[in-house]
Amino acid sequence: MGAHVALVKIEEQKISSEKAKKFIASEKNGAESIFVGKVRNENSGKQVVGVTYDAHDQAAIKSFESICKNAQNKFDKDAKIFLEHVKGYAPVGEISILIAIGSGHRDEAFKICRYILEEVKHQSPIWKKEHYVDGKEEWLPGHSLRPKKEVK
Amino acid sequence: MEIQLKLYGSSKILSDKEILNVQLPNNSNIQNLRNILTKIISEKYSKSNLNNLPRTAAFFSEKDEVVSDSYKLKDKEFISIIPPIGGG
Repeated sequence: MGAHVALVKIEEQKISSEKAKKFIASEKNGAESIFVGKVRNENSGKQVVGVTYDAHDQAAIKSFESICKNAQNKFDKDAKIFLEHVKGYAPVGEISILIAIGSGHRDEAFKICRYILEEVKHQSPIWKKEHYVDGKEEWLPGHSLRPKKEVK
Repeated sequence: MEIQLKLYGSSKILSDKEILNVQLPNNSNIQNLRNILTKIISEKYSKSNLNNLPRTAAFFSEKDEVVSDSYKLKDKEFISIIPPIGGG
């Protein structure tokens, strides 16, 4: 499969956009689309200094692989996809997620990039704890994976 | 019986360790586990933001698959609690 997925432990290494560009590079590409998500310094009026990302490693990787495969089946079977997400404490400005797509055409490249980002947010078991200037911290609310028919 | 509950995200407040040992009656299922967690949270963590966790969390088996409320738990089974997710 023309896809690379990984959870990057930030204590050990950082997500590299150069690595992503090398992975998707191909003379077959008429378009390359790259999305870089970063930790920002504000959320809902609170001054953020960093975010701790927690993840269920095996299930997150499985979900990444499944999402990329679905994206290729849905939009472009020959697309090259690079997806990395950080795990651990990431200060403001740090890359939290990088999605890079190499495809024959721009429409598919944009669509795959957006599709993967939204699916990661709704499928991949990853959590964010924000750390604030005043020393407080908070796990952010998210999307429940509990089967909908069971939620009363 | 006792299961090992691996904690993720906001549920990590429930223990200093990453795993919480939970005592349950024999033949319990996931719904029973939700009820026990509701009791634990109301008794010890009522001031936290965890009140909705037993209702909104999913649970993964050792195969990393979501299990339903009727899933029968086994003694010493390893289960992961999956609070609502939100990466990116």
